[in-house]
Amino acid sequence: MMRWRTYTDRLIVLAVILAAWQVGSFLVGPYWLSSPGAVAARFCAQIWNGELIRHGGYTVEEALIGTLVGGVPAVLLPFLLRRHPVMVAILDPFMVGGYGAPKLAFAPLFILWFGIGIESKIALVAGVVFFIVYFNALSGVRALDPRLVQMAQIAGAGERHVARHVVLPAAVPHILAGFRIAVPYAIGGAIIAELISSNRGLGYLVQTGAMNFDTTSVFSAILAATLIVHAANWLLNAAERTLLRWRPPAQAMLDAEN
Amino acid sequence: MGEAPLLEIKGLGKRFAARQGREPSPWVIQGLSFSVQPGEFLTIVGPSGAGKSTLLNMIAQIDTVSEGEIVFNGEALASRDARALRPGCGRRIGYVTQDDNLLPWRTTFDNVLFPIEVQGRLDAETRAHAEMLVGAVGLAGFERYYPHELSGGMRKRAALIRTLAYDPPVILMDEPFAAVDAQTRAQLQADLLRLWNLKRKTIIFVTHDITEAIALGDRALVLSRQPARIAAEHTIPIPRPRKVEDIFAVEGFATVYERIRAAIQ
Repeated sequence: MMRWRTYTDRLIVLAVILAAWQVGSFLVGPYWLSSPGAVAARFCAQIWNGELIRHGGYTVEEALIGTLVGGVPAVLLPFLLRRHPVMVAILDPFMVGGYGAPKLAFAPLFILWFGIGIESKIALVAGVVFFIVYFNALSGVRALDPRLVQMAQIAGAGERHVARHVVLPAAVPHILAGFRIAVPYAIGGAIIAELISSNRGLGYLVQTGAMNFDTTSVFSAILAATLIVHAANWLLNAAERTLLRWRPPAQAMLDAEN
Repeated sequence: MGEAPLLEIKGLGKRFAARQGREPSPWVIQGLSFSVQPGEFLTIVGPSGAGKSTLLNMIAQIDTVSEGEIVFNGEALASRDARALRPGCGRRIGYVTQDDNLLPWRTTFDNVLFPIEVQGRLDAETRAHAEMLVGAVGLAGFERYYPHELSGGMRKRAALIRTLAYDPPVILMDEPFAAVDAQTRAQLQADLLRLWNLKRKTIIFVTHDITEAIALGDRALVLSRQPARIAAEHTIPIPRPRKVEDIFAVEGFATVYERIRAAIQ
């Protein structure tokens, strides 16, 4: 019952947003602000002729490879440095700097270095994802209860067993939270790099749409990007449900709502 | 008891090291000596804050000693330097702590199997032994539950049999039943005595509960207030098997209880 109520309320909110958009489009003219109806029609047409699938596919590919290239070392590094707090302390200001630097501003530089192909997009996405996931994985490794490690050592667990059976499972919720935060940034990073220079991807569609004063096309590409982020979140939720079965439901539910 | 002691504590002392802007702590334990025979159930009673957990942490080799030595099986343990510590002394000293320290991502049975698994000894025989223990403490049917789904008493039982399952020759117990209600505690004590009867392991059981110390132990040591040392030692003359629920009524209980209580004051 609760669920039904939520769904109907969501539909009402959606209707309000679409109505406001429609009114806005009517007031300023569809030339400046396309209408929801036109966007929906264009979106379906572009799905049908494969244009959105193809360009969306490029963007997803860039975001996915970039997430792996940035995310895997970001997860491994805190594990390798677990027994070397001095190294973590030395690296800290650089990591904080890397986290805080406006990485999107590097996009032109990456295009200069890696060209307008997929490599420059991967580099930008990896740079954005790395720092977000690193700090989450680090907090997961730090939040570990030392008494669990002592228990494991007394029971005869070596360093490898402790890492595999105690440190890693304890850090998984933090690592997943890091990826959850990173996913929209990964898609966004790929699109920004495409906006600046590329001949394919959703960013390219946005760019050409805007150059041709075709706001319908711009909105259609943005809608596609939003749906991709939603789908990625849904996948992460499914992964979390499987990987974190062991957590008390109250805690799991709180996290799912975030 | 003509046998050589399994574990000897000689002139043990502990103070916590100086930290930034702080002096080293006063002596928590000083000049503490006792020995434990193989197969003995030794209980140690002391007031709260007497350094009982610190003592067990040192024996379990997860905390350094500041003075004196620990001799296990005739071998003096290197325990001054934190990096030289070997927690659990090569799987020969088990430790049931006050908190159950179950791994929340493992089911009850997988928690019980954890030590056997990391020791590479998981086979049909050790698994069957673990299953027997699960049944013996009434956890049958809860094997696939996660720790957060168990009651406090059940978690204690799981932690207890996790250590029993891999069969270390010495088991340290730090008030393992302190955080459960009185009825559950009596049940857990009875379970422990029954399991100990099957296989007489060497147990050092720390508690602040005088009745518990008498009900379980062959011998009870009384610790003084800080710095902790042995204030008294009592052999407990109550024959086994014992009935934990009406230990009060047994002849000799009142005398020992009074003596221990007087020694703690």
